[in-house]
Amino acid sequence: MRKNFLKTFLIPILSLIFLAPVNSLLAAGNLLIKNAIVMPVTAPPIYGADVLIINGIIKQIGPNLTPPPGTRVINASGKYLIPGIIDTHTHLGLSGTNEGTDAITPEVDMADVINPDDPAIFTALTGGVTMVHTMHGSANVIGGRNVVLKLKWGQPSEKMVVKEAWPTLKFALGENVKQSNRTLLPGRPQRYPATRMGANAIIRRELLRAREYMAAWERYEKLKNSKNPPRGLLPPKKDLRLETLADLLRGKLYARCHAYVATEMVEFLRLAREFGFKIAAFEHAWEAYKITDELLEAGVGISVFIDSWAYKMEAAEGIAYNAAYCTQRGILVSINSDSSERVRRLFNEAGKAVKYGLTPDEALKMITINAAKQLGVDHLVGSIEVGKQADLALFENHPMSAYTRCEMTIIEGDVYFDRQQILKEREEAAARKGGY
Amino acid sequence: MKKRERKLIFLEGWKALAGLTLILAAISLPGVELAASPEVKPTYALVNCRIFPVSGPAIEKGTIVVRDGLIEAIGPAGKIKIPEDAEVIEASGLTAYPGLISAHTNLFLEVKQQEQPQTPAEFLSALSQPSEPQQFPDFLVLKELKPKKQTIESWHKTGFTTVVVAPSRGIFQGQSVILNLNGEQLNQMVIRQPWALHINFTTERGIYPSSLMGTVAFIRQKFYDTLHYDLHRKKYSASPLFLKRPEYDPFLEALIPFVVEKKPVVFQCNNQEDIKRALRLIEEFKLNGILAGCNEAWRVVEHLNRAKVPLLVTVDFRPPSVNIYNQQGEAVRKKAEAEIYPANPAVLLKENIHFALTGFGLSESSFLKNIQAAIRAGLPAEAAMKALTADSARILGLEKQLGTLEPGKIANLILTRGDLFAEKTRVVKVIVDGILFNYEEKSQ
Repeated sequence: MRKNFLKTFLIPILSLIFLAPVNSLLAAGNLLIKNAIVMPVTAPPIYGADVLIINGIIKQIGPNLTPPPGTRVINASGKYLIPGIIDTHTHLGLSGTNEGTDAITPEVDMADVINPDDPAIFTALTGGVTMVHTMHGSANVIGGRNVVLKLKWGQPSEKMVVKEAWPTLKFALGENVKQSNRTLLPGRPQRYPATRMGANAIIRRELLRAREYMAAWERYEKLKNSKNPPRGLLPPKKDLRLETLADLLRGKLYARCHAYVATEMVEFLRLAREFGFKIAAFEHAWEAYKITDELLEAGVGISVFIDSWAYKMEAAEGIAYNAAYCTQRGILVSINSDSSERVRRLFNEAGKAVKYGLTPDEALKMITINAAKQLGVDHLVGSIEVGKQADLALFENHPMSAYTRCEMTIIEGDVYFDRQQILKEREEAAARKGGY
Repeated sequence: MKKRERKLIFLEGWKALAGLTLILAAISLPGVELAASPEVKPTYALVNCRIFPVSGPAIEKGTIVVRDGLIEAIGPAGKIKIPEDAEVIEASGLTAYPGLISAHTNLFLEVKQQEQPQTPAEFLSALSQPSEPQQFPDFLVLKELKPKKQTIESWHKTGFTTVVVAPSRGIFQGQSVILNLNGEQLNQMVIRQPWALHINFTTERGIYPSSLMGTVAFIRQKFYDTLHYDLHRKKYSASPLFLKRPEYDPFLEALIPFVVEKKPVVFQCNNQEDIKRALRLIEEFKLNGILAGCNEAWRVVEHLNRAKVPLLVTVDFRPPSVNIYNQQGEAVRKKAEAEIYPANPAVLLKENIHFALTGFGLSESSFLKNIQAAIRAGLPAEAAMKALTADSARILGLEKQLGTLEPGKIANLILTRGDLFAEKTRVVKVIVDGILFNYEEKSQ
């Protein structure tokens, strides 16, 4: 069916959009990339090296490698090979972003609403992106569970999910959750919380409820297993909302917290200390530069925009030096897109950091290894090293240059985007169909 | 215009006399009420017709005896004795098939449309009023049905004699009924009531759950609540001492037969991801699950093969709204509708996936057109026939009563001039529960 469909539908737009791995006829997951400028990110660049991939894993990096027979060979002379770009904050590939009717909805899970047909998955590939952390929105204080996807366009949704990534729960603070930029409808009361202190209080309230819930289950288990269980012993009701929060308190989940201003981040750090939960990163964090000591002490990183500050009141004190300054202070920084459009030019966004004081190598780390660390997958991806998964992007020029573009995107040794092939197919289709 | 005549034949000629005797007998007995329609149905012998019993090979020239609403005998001409009391129907040139079953419809269901706001002021006021929750787990669709003669006629002419009528609103939509299209008297039409609980991955407007992710969580929470409610009730009825009385909850009460007692639960699946969502729920709660809609089942055959859950597959070939073909303009969408989706049933057949075909979401005329498209896309006509008869009956748990032409089964059959599903074929006679409906065209 798929094959038949590919034949019928190799028209320009669709071939762009629904491309099963191009090298699927060759041994899947095997590839030799020849003579590239390899940028491992965790080590200095190697000029003119080959990278051999077997079964989706980087097997060897070095000069003049010979592949096993039947391996596709890509000539990458003069081109830059970098680790696949990782976007730590997007909402692509989903059917819906927010369950916004309640301030507290940790029972929802983005893994339930993956949409593998979202064209943004493909357009992100064209910018060298191989992995995204796709998240609940910021409409409520406690959103839902997020999911990490590899952008295996054309594959079923479950094959995209990265199970090894840290499970994360979305929190949000500030203007979005207090709905300060929303026109109140007549007759409809404002949703609680309407202030930052309210947001803080409601998180504490819910976490206390989760503690009680855990205690109730513990009491029940104890009684059930005792020698003489009391008559009329009934288990507590399973509550999916509190289950998720209990997982956070048990350390099974990491918080990812949307926050702009310094005070709310400091408050959230305090909450995390009080309840003993882990924070994977602050999202957007425009005022992180004001609290670098606090962030360093807590060991919490940030996932930020590069230079689009002041688009609302709480972003007014954002500065374009935020990412660079925090990096120089030793904080783990990643650049995110938060957008199905910006995601395809995330390398440009990272590149801007060079203007604000980072070296190109430091800038590139913010969309590769740093992002991998923030998602808990740096042992698998994020750099070009023997033994890691072969998620790679091949760029025409230096990836942090303004004059570059992505030529090819590879996930686990399979080519998911090949600019030259798509251009060729497009031309052929135009000739065949008289310019369809 | 051809004028067609439909005739209900109950009592004719000498049988009228027998009927009258019966009625007189009934009147003379105190306390016996007069039935609105006769208790004894006429006996028919359909002779000289081609027969597709579905349960076995075709009979080129055969006889079917129908008595009291059931098939009494069926076989090649000469081997079946025509009973003396039977009204003989000469059916040479006609082909008999089991009546078709549409295992998923919203037939006869009159749903009050919510008033749409007209002016900006109305719109604003509608927004500020959260909608009423659209959850009806205890809703029995039977209570809202208004069978119409015209509709029945039109469904008969498409070949249908049995339908599942499913509710149509909300996430927990309510409970469906299986009807035989034998007239307009609801109680006489019922085959199984209720049949299944129907669930749709839709959302509420302005209240929880307002998103697909919320809906999935909401369904799971309700299932867990039901299990707890049931446990509490059972413990309480076993021994109420030292146990708080469970608070009565009509919502959960309605779910118990389906979540605990494993009556069928039908999930409406509008795209491949809906199918996976439903399969996850079915597995998590060990439900007796059935998937409906499923025109994208061809994309998830691996999952379906593993799950062994039966499908009620619609022959509506419009690509789902979240689908890639729906995001690139009308030309691509139409091409996908015409060239890709019609192959869905053929793929399922090849993969040995247990499915029935339905015309859910389609008018009767597009149903036939789309069945033809599915056949052109590789589904053998016999398989289409089976998916609309025996396979449907099996999924509905009615394989002993319906779906094939065999002695002892309910007399639901259609007589066509021409092969069923062929373009110019007409359904000329329909028998439902032994009641004959004539749709023979009058000569002009």
